[in-house]
Amino acid sequence: MDRRKIDVVLSTLLIIISVIILTNDNLVEGGVETELGSMFLPRIVAGLIIIFAAVMGIESLLKLLRQAKQEESEIIVTQGFSGVLVYIGIFIAYWLAVPHVGFLVATPFVMFSVAVLLGGRNWIPITLVSVITPLLIFYGSSHFLRVYLPTWTLS
Amino acid sequence: MIENIIGGFSSILAVGPILGIIAGVIVGIVFGAIPGISAIMAIAIILPLTFYVDPIIGITMLLAVYKAGIYGGSISAILINTPGAAASFLTAVDGNALTKAGKSGKALDISLFSSVSGEVIATLVLILVAAPISAISLQAGPIEKVFLLLFAFTVISTLAGQSISRGLLSCTLGMLFAMVGLSTITGASRFTFGITELMSGFTFTPMLIGILVMPEVLNVVRQRKKSHSDMAITRSPNPADNRISWKEYRSVFGTILKSSGIGTFIGALPGLGSSTAAFMAYGEAKRTSKKPEEYGKGSIEGIAAAESANNAVCGSSLIPMLTLSIPGDDVAALLMGAFLIHGLTPGPLIFFEHTETIYAIFAGFLITDLFLLGIAKSGFSFFVKVASLRRYYIFPCVTIFAFTGAFTAGQNMNDILILIGFTVMGYGMRLVGLNPAIFIIGFILTPYLEQNLDQALAIVGTDYHLLFASPFSWVFIALSIFFVYSSVYMKKKKAGNSTQAQEVTS
Repeated sequence: MDRRKIDVVLSTLLIIISVIILTNDNLVEGGVETELGSMFLPRIVAGLIIIFAAVMGIESLLKLLRQAKQEESEIIVTQGFSGVLVYIGIFIAYWLAVPHVGFLVATPFVMFSVAVLLGGRNWIPITLVSVITPLLIFYGSSHFLRVYLPTWTLS
Repeated sequence: MIENIIGGFSSILAVGPILGIIAGVIVGIVFGAIPGISAIMAIAIILPLTFYVDPIIGITMLLAVYKAGIYGGSISAILINTPGAAASFLTAVDGNALTKAGKSGKALDISLFSSVSGEVIATLVLILVAAPISAISLQAGPIEKVFLLLFAFTVISTLAGQSISRGLLSCTLGMLFAMVGLSTITGASRFTFGITELMSGFTFTPMLIGILVMPEVLNVVRQRKKSHSDMAITRSPNPADNRISWKEYRSVFGTILKSSGIGTFIGALPGLGSSTAAFMAYGEAKRTSKKPEEYGKGSIEGIAAAESANNAVCGSSLIPMLTLSIPGDDVAALLMGAFLIHGLTPGPLIFFEHTETIYAIFAGFLITDLFLLGIAKSGFSFFVKVASLRRYYIFPCVTIFAFTGAFTAGQNMNDILILIGFTVMGYGMRLVGLNPAIFIIGFILTPYLEQNLDQALAIVGTDYHLLFASPFSWVFIALSIFFVYSSVYMKKKKAGNSTQAQEVTS
């Protein structure tokens, strides 16, 4: 994938967001009067973002228009991206499941899924690791750190 | 100062801190040695565990993870030619050449001894220099601090970024995210869009793990089809090939001293980092060596130069953080977050408000070197075995540690959403060449900038020219311009060199 195209899109997006910050007064609520005011620094930062994003975007756009040869850092290797999407999917499912089924039930499935995603096929050791690790973390965090991980709440 | 140092040692020589250091060293070596896991990742994962212990135990444990993690990176670099970080690249070149010659024991030994030597020297400099610098920086008022912070933002962004605009953009994005939530000055809620959960801003730990740690896991997932490299210590039948003799150590001691000096100096400057130190020290050692032809082909001197400089950065990178509240690199930014979580605000006042704690941490920093030497030397084979574990055992555990670490911060499931969001953002930033470490530095320093700017404007009123009345203001402006100019010059020179190289090869 050509990073320069992403640069152009990203710069445009950042410039739009920064213009909104510069022009919209509803992004701040309440507060007392001070020398600076609540939106002074955010607006300065927004202005700087416009400048730096524009430099980045224009640089990439010019290269695209000139059809300049891509540098190594301008190529985004997309091979293996499906795995990344699956991993993020697993993590989102984990986040959704834990409040309902609890840490001890959800975690072994997540560990097992990530292990399989990473190419693990030694079923018995993977299963053992997936079951023992959450038990140890759950016990350790509740007894030593006084951190109580979510438990089953279906009942 | 001597009294404070002795007091520090008496605080650290207790069961809790010593156990913390031992645990930190073991975790650091193991994590550092696993290809794909860096020292910063180890610190971020361990960080939530330290919330519940005394700051002396917690911070010394994190520093032990840091030091041991940097050393651990050289194990995978030497044995399987897989440097965990750019700083270990040169160690991998010479170390792996020795491994191929059946002398991995010698390479691991010299790497350990030079790492520890470099760390000890830098730590001594830290102890001797930090307090006097902090006494000077105490003289700085809000106006000077504003210019100092602007200088820090400029230097770090221009030197550490892939390009100057990308570095500065990463920094300003971090600044923007820092302003979400209630303003500490006006009490106004900014960019919350009516979401009450955003009132307190983004929780630091999940954001940190998401931005800095999880993208590394995603990288491993993306490259999951790459074959696994087994680590093994290759042993030559000749015992002399498997260890470093006193004579050999003495022969490279000068190089270690010089490289540690380079590493300490580079580490104390914000934004340059350990890889710059390693490359500069290696180049200097090669330039002055009696056997420059051996460099790159298994030179003990080369490993000593790269490793001592690389590790010296650990201690000296804390100098700007502790004296001026400026984290010089990503690890220092993370450690600054850890200090803040433990109720210690890095800056000149830390030496007066938390004297006992800070000197105990210094003492712990020195003692860590002794434990690192002992534990690493006695457990080489064990660490190599653990680090050789297949990634499908390691990374599911890292995933769960990240989840638990993010949850631990506030015992709140919303923090997991922050973790997921910043994981995606951190990975995206890497893809487009934005620097997540600079983002974090911008995030951490912005509240200080806003606070000092407000105070500075309250002092000068409408006479804005008074902002430039202090000579410090002009010094920092001049330094910022110098660093930007030199960065532009270096980047142009580098681009010119690579174009020339391409022309030669074609």
